[in-house]
Amino acid sequence: MISFLASHYFQIGTVILFGVGFMTLLLNNNLIRKIIGLNIMDTSIFLFFITIGYTGGREAPIINGAFKGIDAYVTPIPTGLMLTGIVVAVSTTAFALALTILFYERFGTIDLSEVMDSRGD
Amino acid sequence: MQGLHLTSLLSILILMITAFIMPVIKQRQLVTKISLATMGVVLVMLALVAVDVARVEHYTATIGHYDAPFGITFDIGPIEAVVGVLFAFVSTMVVWYASFGIHKEIKENRVKLFYTLIHLLLASLLGIVFTSDLFNSFVFIEVSTLAACGLIAIKDKPENIKATMKYLILSSLGSGLVLMGIAYLYSMTGHLNMRAIHETLQVSVAGNERAILVSLTMFTIGLGIKAAMFPLHIWLPDAHASAPGPSSAILSGIVIKAPVVLLFKVLFMVYGHEILKDTVILNLILIFGATGMIMGSLFARVQTDLKRMVAYSSVAQMGYIFFGFGLGNAMGMTIAIYHILAHGLTKSCLFLSVSSFIEQTGQRDIDNMRGIGREMPITLAIFSLGGLSMVGIPMLPGFVSKWNLALAAIDYGQIFLLLIILASSLLNVSYYFPIIINGYFGNANLEGKIYKSKMKPVRELVPLILLSIMMVIVGFGSGPILDWIASAMPSL
Repeated sequence: MISFLASHYFQIGTVILFGVGFMTLLLNNNLIRKIIGLNIMDTSIFLFFITIGYTGGREAPIINGAFKGIDAYVTPIPTGLMLTGIVVAVSTTAFALALTILFYERFGTIDLSEVMDSRGD
Repeated sequence: MQGLHLTSLLSILILMITAFIMPVIKQRQLVTKISLATMGVVLVMLALVAVDVARVEHYTATIGHYDAPFGITFDIGPIEAVVGVLFAFVSTMVVWYASFGIHKEIKENRVKLFYTLIHLLLASLLGIVFTSDLFNSFVFIEVSTLAACGLIAIKDKPENIKATMKYLILSSLGSGLVLMGIAYLYSMTGHLNMRAIHETLQVSVAGNERAILVSLTMFTIGLGIKAAMFPLHIWLPDAHASAPGPSSAILSGIVIKAPVVLLFKVLFMVYGHEILKDTVILNLILIFGATGMIMGSLFARVQTDLKRMVAYSSVAQMGYIFFGFGLGNAMGMTIAIYHILAHGLTKSCLFLSVSSFIEQTGQRDIDNMRGIGREMPITLAIFSLGGLSMVGIPMLPGFVSKWNLALAAIDYGQIFLLLIILASSLLNVSYYFPIIINGYFGNANLEGKIYKSKMKPVRELVPLILLSIMMVIVGFGSGPILDWIASAMPSL
């Protein structure tokens, strides 16, 4: 158990972060905090992807000078994917922030619970 | 023909390019014409793709000449082709309808943005359906979410902002879960291509059971939120009821269908039946679907706002689709895909006719729709046809779905599931029929109403009529369509 924790601490950390972000996004009523939660959640996933791609002792796949054989480099795919993921997260955040401004102009608050009616339908 | 293989990709590219031409054009008329022409071209292209698929059964379009496990490919079989044609057809009709009246519902300077958003939305939805790369589908999902949010918020009323916020937050939760699910799959298999993941997963099940279950749950919940699976549907009524009419038709008709298709591909093509039968996921989907069928209809019954009622009816109808998946047999899955078709056409018909009621009368309450059949006979006739299809009158697509779903439930071996289908149909009767009956009949209802007084010009009703004709065709021609979809079902 301890050795598992020690060898997988990155993944465990990311899953905890994911939980924190997820619950903040789900349960907090303040819109700004929700957006912060969204970003924590997204970042944790990026970190998770990056840790999958990392192999200890290997270099970034940039050939500087001589080619050292395929075993010398880490796989570049997760890093590349996360570049796209970051762009997506940034656009979602920007949209959410713009919507929050509109929300504040219309309702004079950024607290969701003050505006949402708690009808059961 | 390699040239034809890239038609699917080209249709998405054309939509994306024209989407960003719109805002820089000055005249609204020209924007409308470009949009309609593009939609028509895309529809023809996807019809060609479908014809091609019908001839060779299945084809793969590689993008940038990188082959499957590394490059992105579009794998197009009968399911993707059928759903693609549906999406293009519904959007074309909705754009056609919107070209007559959207400037009355939203601000003049936002009309161009409306078309931009519709183009982006259709492009991303087609992308979700066609792509066989999981990360690619995630990106398309995000694009479709933001475009759909834009289509709701474009009306700029306080309730629109509120509904968009709700939708955006829940959708982001869903996207987060989907991306985490993809991360789990990638860490287990090292692939993002669906076929490659499937092959790797089959040999590496042992020892990974828990990770597989977790990722499976993440996909189901994440895509379930976006597709309004029953307990996760809470964003849908607000969003679909407050959006402008044509947006509602697109949102309810096709936007919630794309995640369902992706869920289908993830469940049955990525994980495969071997893995699914050892987990509880399918039973869970079956239960959610069945509760959705009943509860969605019950909620729809108590609504006083006509548009909200139709929106809740969507929740019930999505229940049918999930019910079909949950059965897990070939027939259930075939019907689920067929119901995507049936509901997409029917619900866009219903929403468009409801939006013309609201536009012409200025009323939203169901009680104020009495006698509408004398004022707007053709529109109510189209609404009635849609309602009858939802209820399940023979030869209309809703009936075909229900009948075959019942057969699939018997095949599954649980007879009590029939009762759920029956109860849901009866509930549908209880909220669609009063509107139709009070609209056409009753002296008290018709008093003081002038025949055809609020009718729209017939040329503005053409897209609605075409949609309802297509709906009837899909109902009458259900045999070949079902056979074609069934031929693509992954073997169990």
